[in-house]
Amino acid sequence: MNVRAPHSNNVVVQSLTQIGLCGLFLLTLLASVPRSFRYACETLRQLWFVGAMSLAIIMVCGLFIGMVLMLQLYNVLSIFGSTSASGMVVALAVYRELGPVVTALLFAGRAGTSITAEIGLMRATDQIDAMEMMAVDPIAYVATPRFLAGLIAMPLLCCVFCAMAIFGGHLVGVTWLGIDNGTFWSNMTAVVVVHTDIVNGVLFKSLVFGAVVSLIAVFQGFTTPPTSEGVAYATTRTVVASSIAILALDFVLTAFLM
Amino acid sequence: MTDPVRATPDDSTLVRIRGLTTVLNGKTIFDALDLDIPRGKVTAIMGPSGTGKTTLLKHITGQMRADAGEIRVNGQNVANLSRDELYKLREGIGYLFQNSALLTDFDVFENVAFPLRQHTKLPEVLIRNLVLLKLQAVGLRGAARLMPNELSGGMARRVALARAIVFDPMLILYDEPFVGLDPVALNQVLKLIRTLNQTLGITSVLVAHELEAIKQVADHVFLIANGKVVAQGDPKTIANDGSPWTRQFFGGEADGPVPFQYPAGNLAQALGFTGAAK
Amino acid sequence: MSQPRSSYAVGTGLFIVLGFAALAYLATQTSSVANVHQGASYTVDAHFANIGQLKERAPVKIAGVRVGQVQSITLQPGQEVADVKLAIDKSYDKIPLDSVATIFTSGLLGDQYIGIQYGSSKKAVADGGTLALTKPAQQLEEMIGKFFGAGGTADNLGGTYAVKANFTNVGTLSVGAPVKMAGVPIGSVQSVVADPVKLDAEVTLAIDKRYNAIPDDSSAAVFTSGLIGSQYVAIQPGGSPDALKNGDEMVLTQSAMQLEDLIGKFLVNGSPSDKKDAGDGKSSDTPAPTGKH
Repeated sequence: MNVRAPHSNNVVVQSLTQIGLCGLFLLTLLASVPRSFRYACETLRQLWFVGAMSLAIIMVCGLFIGMVLMLQLYNVLSIFGSTSASGMVVALAVYRELGPVVTALLFAGRAGTSITAEIGLMRATDQIDAMEMMAVDPIAYVATPRFLAGLIAMPLLCCVFCAMAIFGGHLVGVTWLGIDNGTFWSNMTAVVVVHTDIVNGVLFKSLVFGAVVSLIAVFQGFTTPPTSEGVAYATTRTVVASSIAILALDFVLTAFLM
Repeated sequence: MTDPVRATPDDSTLVRIRGLTTVLNGKTIFDALDLDIPRGKVTAIMGPSGTGKTTLLKHITGQMRADAGEIRVNGQNVANLSRDELYKLREGIGYLFQNSALLTDFDVFENVAFPLRQHTKLPEVLIRNLVLLKLQAVGLRGAARLMPNELSGGMARRVALARAIVFDPMLILYDEPFVGLDPVALNQVLKLIRTLNQTLGITSVLVAHELEAIKQVADHVFLIANGKVVAQGDPKTIANDGSPWTRQFFGGEADGPVPFQYPAGNLAQALGFTGAAK
Repeated sequence: MSQPRSSYAVGTGLFIVLGFAALAYLATQTSSVANVHQGASYTVDAHFANIGQLKERAPVKIAGVRVGQVQSITLQPGQEVADVKLAIDKSYDKIPLDSVATIFTSGLLGDQYIGIQYGSSKKAVADGGTLALTKPAQQLEEMIGKFFGAGGTADNLGGTYAVKANFTNVGTLSVGAPVKMAGVPIGSVQSVVADPVKLDAEVTLAIDKRYNAIPDDSSAAVFTSGLIGSQYVAIQPGGSPDALKNGDEMVLTQSAMQLEDLIGKFLVNGSPSDKKDAGDGKSSDTPAPTGKH
């Protein structure tokens, strides 16, 4: 736990060090997964904090993403007289890109920061050391349940996000702009394929993003200097590092899955 | 197995430290330190700030590894223990943190019950009774449902103490238990330390600076400076043994073996009087 | 403490159930797994020679009003017609047996749907029955012709007279393409056939009778409207005092410029390659999108 990056002024060396330490931390986390099974209750509690508590923001954002996407597409596609394709484009855009990416960014901002801040404060107030002293492994009790909770919560949140986006698109497209209901659905069901779009797009991507965001959040919480200043910096770093990682990984995953 | 210390675990020394050497960030904290903590007694460890008293406690619990030397707690060499053995050992050690370190997610009751829940499968009724008994011992049974942020510093420390003794440990380590307490709270904690030692026979190690408090409670005092034990004995005799260290520490002199000035170059040179330096 | 724990558990459980419900919704309702919605409807068969881009669940409309949807599209082995099953709302059960089912396109690139135009029969088509009269999907080329052909064909109100013209290559000129003089449609292409003796294309032009003073030495050329537009026949008047009459033949013709040649001229600025695209007009058939399943 007392991982500390060797000091270097070189940004590249620093970032590489961070990535390396983060990787090692992941191994520690994975190794402690069997031990954290006895803390299933704690995982459940974290699932409530990172998952259920993020539900409201995810649902509202999903709804508006779907609505605005439909509005934009309708305006563009009406030039070509093919507004009926907009439902299909909304579904594809949301399933393949916007759903996982926007959910992950929101998740990093909502749940990632709170994980980092919470663990940082627990370290600052010796709670982590106290657990060590009470013969409770803080990795297995604090880090791994949060990591697992993030891993489980992200795909579920992403599904909710996508469903809300489709609902928002339907609301604007069919109810407001008057696209035919049957055309809306028939176009969508004609192009959306469960394997490539929903399994590879929604579920797989969001699983990877969930793992990355939770890993970064927990890692930052555990490695930051246990001071109030350190916690503040670590929270910022969680958002920055998560966002970069999400977008870069999104490109890599898309290239692989296409 | 032929280890003589392990062969006689129930001798009068609970913690035996031999040749302990620690270097942190290039600074030598302990330099071949030897120290014995007697079983069933209250031992105080004193010393100037920054001499690594908290580090010493962390060595005893195995949270930090020493660079050289050995520490035996109840006959077990801490450095050689596996993770599970170390955790087993820690279940027999209570540790009172400087800032109490209560888990902010849980209320007082759950904080005290935490070690029981983690390490035992006792029925809920038994856990409840045990926790209430320990809280009663520290006088906070009525505060069982308060959250940690609703407690004063003294109360939080008493809750932490209740948590530390919930397993009836053989050894309690107090890290600065009196810091930041008003006289009333200080006396309450003092009374608790003494009661726990006398009624349960728990070996206690105190890291503290409050001379008056230590005189009241400690059976044995170690004065550590520059990585070595510079004086030891019972609190009354040590105060009068006349060495420069004890004179400075117990007499409250600003300058002495512990320098007032942090090591620095020539003042005149630092101020730019190059001529004066020659 | 058992109190807050159970409330976490309930909330978390709700969250997990909601997540999986959303997943189930995405997977079943918005993907190809989605089943045809079975309301109170009856099924009618229609056979089409070409369904274009018609998809399952596409709407079925009468007078522009949605009355049902396409339930399934199958191709019977050994037959060249697509068997389309229409699920029509039970409340529209008086559709005459001789009604015409047509595949329409909404907009230029829009989706296709089936329109039903009522016939005059007293007998209504029953559940499981067949609409015998169908019109296949209009091809995109025809649509483009209408859009880019600058005005479409002449109305031919006053009747037409036929004039023949022989071309060595008509490109993608098809029946119904406009015949223009000075850019104004004056008639349409009546037939395009290959001459078995001269081995070239004999095109019959139906020209409005109002334009009966076209000199008989005028030339006919197959032009393309724009780079990707459809082709039409342009007539450039000559100087002869005699006018073309019904059954006459135009001698001076200019063949279609192939798209490949045009591109060759654009890109290479050189000689047109003699790479010919099988010579017929089918090369630009839009391929139907694949990978529906």
